[in-house]
Amino acid sequence: MEPIKVSLESLNLTTLLPMLIAVAGGLTILIIDLIKENLHKSLYVMLSILFLLLDLGALIGLDINTRGFFDVMLIDGIAVISQIIIIVASMLFIPLALTSKRFHEFSLPEFFALFLFMVAGFQFMVASDNLILIFVGLETASLSLYPLIAFHNRDKSFEAAIKYFTMGAVAAGFFAFGSALLYGLTGSVEIYKIAEVLTERGFEPIIVVLTAVAFMIAALGFKLSMVPFHTWTPDVYEGASSALAGYMSVVPKLAGFVVAMRMFEFLIHSGIVWVRDILYLAVVITMTFANIVALVQHDVKRMLAYSSISHAGFVMAAIMIGTTQSNSGLFLYWILFLFTNLGAFTMLWISRHKSNLWHDRFDHPYEKFSGLVQIMPIAATSMAVFMLSLAGIPPFSLFWGKLYIMGAAVNSGYIMLALIMAINSAISVYYYLKLIVYMFMKDPISDKQTIYFKNSSLSLRTIVGISVVFTIFSSFFISPLLSYITEIVRLSGF
Amino acid sequence: MDHILTLLIFFPALAGMLGFIVDKENIQAYGITVAAIEFILSLVVWMLFDVNNGGFQFVEFIPLIPNYGINYYVGVDGISLFILILSTFITFVGLISLNVKKNLKNMIISLLFLEMTMVGVFVALDAIVFYVFWELSLVPMLYIIGYWGSEKRIYAAIKFFLYTFFGSLIMLVGMLFLAYLYYLATGTISFSIPDWHRLILPYEYQFWLFLAFFLGMAIKVPMFPFHTWLPYAHGQAPTIGSVILAAVLLKMGTYGFVRFSLPIFPDASVALISPIAFLAIIMVIYTAMVAYAQEDLKQVIAYSSISHMGVIVLGTFAMNIEGIAGSIFLMISHGIVSGALFMLVGNIYDRRHTKLLKEFGGLAQVMPKYALLFGIMLMASVGLPLTIGFVGEFLSLMGIYKISSAYAFLGGLSIVLGAAYMLRAYKLTFFGPITNEKNKNLPDLNWKELTSLASLALVVIWLGVNPNPILKPINKSVENMLDLMEKKAITQKAKEVFSHNRVEMEAR
Repeated sequence: MEPIKVSLESLNLTTLLPMLIAVAGGLTILIIDLIKENLHKSLYVMLSILFLLLDLGALIGLDINTRGFFDVMLIDGIAVISQIIIIVASMLFIPLALTSKRFHEFSLPEFFALFLFMVAGFQFMVASDNLILIFVGLETASLSLYPLIAFHNRDKSFEAAIKYFTMGAVAAGFFAFGSALLYGLTGSVEIYKIAEVLTERGFEPIIVVLTAVAFMIAALGFKLSMVPFHTWTPDVYEGASSALAGYMSVVPKLAGFVVAMRMFEFLIHSGIVWVRDILYLAVVITMTFANIVALVQHDVKRMLAYSSISHAGFVMAAIMIGTTQSNSGLFLYWILFLFTNLGAFTMLWISRHKSNLWHDRFDHPYEKFSGLVQIMPIAATSMAVFMLSLAGIPPFSLFWGKLYIMGAAVNSGYIMLALIMAINSAISVYYYLKLIVYMFMKDPISDKQTIYFKNSSLSLRTIVGISVVFTIFSSFFISPLLSYITEIVRLSGF
Repeated sequence: MDHILTLLIFFPALAGMLGFIVDKENIQAYGITVAAIEFILSLVVWMLFDVNNGGFQFVEFIPLIPNYGINYYVGVDGISLFILILSTFITFVGLISLNVKKNLKNMIISLLFLEMTMVGVFVALDAIVFYVFWELSLVPMLYIIGYWGSEKRIYAAIKFFLYTFFGSLIMLVGMLFLAYLYYLATGTISFSIPDWHRLILPYEYQFWLFLAFFLGMAIKVPMFPFHTWLPYAHGQAPTIGSVILAAVLLKMGTYGFVRFSLPIFPDASVALISPIAFLAIIMVIYTAMVAYAQEDLKQVIAYSSISHMGVIVLGTFAMNIEGIAGSIFLMISHGIVSGALFMLVGNIYDRRHTKLLKEFGGLAQVMPKYALLFGIMLMASVGLPLTIGFVGEFLSLMGIYKISSAYAFLGGLSIVLGAAYMLRAYKLTFFGPITNEKNKNLPDLNWKELTSLASLALVVIWLGVNPNPILKPINKSVENMLDLMEKKAITQKAKEVFSHNRVEMEAR
């Protein structure tokens, strides 16, 4: 037997560097804890941000459209841009640990270590078209996320973590089954090779291909909280701290979208009508069902959970359309959504109170925000801006995302889909307005400022400020953002 | 003076933002000053406006999202100029007469933001910019109705918002599709309205796109059967809310017809004259009858305003110069008159805290000035010659007469029925003996109310006697538009309608 010879250069290890930095960061935090115990959380937060910054730097230095590490790493345009979004989002969410109230989980260095491992996991997920590496990335990220939820240390959080874990395990099983079937069909785990072989063979035997695709849709459906795989979402968001819930509504889904984009791109253009139809149906049901359920929620956080399901459906439509314009629209939408949701969940996080003063079941019932404008006008106005943005009222940021994706739908002949999107936006505006009505048109139940601002600190307020500015003035930088995204998506051939 | 329109749009918003700092006690003076400056600015636009040029003037063009054909593109022509001045004028007068105690500061800031959106809608030449302001105008109005309104204010505010939002989203899909068709035709995508005006579309597309735009506009107007939100909104809104809503916001819909529907889809517009005229006539007659049966003075005005909007729609779809110019004039006159009437209702409501007709009677004896001004506005609303209401109504009906005498006759019932319900309301309020003790010692109008109403009355009579300063520029731009529509027409029917206009214009 010949010894295997691999030259270091052909490995192109720099493609791995960003993730390795994140992992090294996690390990460093653990080591620091070994050396000196009971350090303040602000140290960990800042260390995490620094490591993420290094991570970002290493990422931006990469050449686009290279492969590395036995060709399992794929650094194409969408891998780069989605990693940038993931890292920036993580950098914006991690300072939310700096609350003025003490929360148990942030005193543990493990929290920050796991957080960085999770980021690395998501990065692996988006930077590969190898089903095994995607699976590894997915599980690394998920297994770090479960304890992060449970750390919140309340009954609901344990419930949420276990629910998420169970669902996640099922999804992982589906993913493994789907990959196994695809491997059996084609003898490869690389998506581009699978596509080649399947196209060559004319997608025969069709029944096995469809079963594999069904497993894949289910697996990704869990991660993207597509209806009917969405049932965990509101409970998990409710159990997790608002900061983490906001994070979960943005980053894991983006990673899921990128995998879905790689996975379904060739299937959608393959001419198998079935795949496209089932995705169409899933998109429409996800948008509509989540919107209708959100109408009857009593709790703002649960409402935002359903709203984020609906937004995921909206964005999934972009993948279903599958043109360069729609795929660029996806990233644009998600960047805008990141800032809006960051702001909205941070506002909930600020108003978090340890005892349930308003309702014995919910943390954030609508009544809690009654007449907020009279007590704290700026906070109420910011929250209103986030709600208007989520509802798609121009000129706030998400309007441009909606406009662009609806435009992509129209341009590819999906007029009906665009109309359904429009009607869904009209439905959704009701539950966003409901919060605005409570804040602006009702009288406050309690007029003690401290009840609301319990959790506020300089860093939390800064984050809200950044989000507000981004949401209001987005019109001015949509143009450069969009041309960058379009360029990079086109480069990677989507 | 190149950037006067941008200044005009953003000045009130900027002032509104600074208004947060102004002391609570002096906020009304601040608001009035800002609105006065804005009004003067709009008058400057009128002064510098070249009356002999029917095209767009004061044009500004800044790329916003050039890759996707979205630009900040604004300008005015004869059609939008006076609606623009109307909105700054009504805001100014409305602020003077404003009589709100609760949280006045937020009210004034909201009004200034609302003014920005109104001006923005009327000067936008890019469909997306238009849409942005169109939608944004809902937000301050939602707050004004929902916070300062009466009992069922929240229901009314949300109903108003959802109705209009739904319609405009369908319109947005229409806009996106139209931009895509433009892309197919020319190879570049564009949302610019003048570009769209030059685009010739197959009839099939025109028809569906017309319907998409129609839904958005019709809900705003509001056309029958989409009018059900309006009585609620008016019934619950505070006085200033009703004034702005009736005077300016409703005009956005009819302005949209003139700006989008007619020139972009000339064939579909001609083909749909009859169904739209049918809806408009139902609007005119049915809501006039409903107005007659109202117990509440404000609801009378609210329904009357739907009825008059019907005449505006009839005039717009007459497809000739009299009809369209007349309907634009009627938009302005109706804006002034209905604004004034809502202010008058507000005045009596402030004194008695009721708007029910049966509570009043014989008010002419205790409040003679009030009765006089109400009388003038009533005459203008009914369309008496030498008042502003006559010119527009007469021209609109004359325009539609050329299409069909039956439409003109049925539309003309607006005047007859209008006289009936307005005079009934006037009689019940002002004539007869004073039956209610509480009415014995009502104070007459104070100087604030008098200033605002007298200035409106002045305009009513001035433009009623001499409408030319306004009609001329409107005519010029409408002529341009009709020219364009004639050139674009592809169906036989549309060609006939427009060539008929041509013959008449040349004969003149």
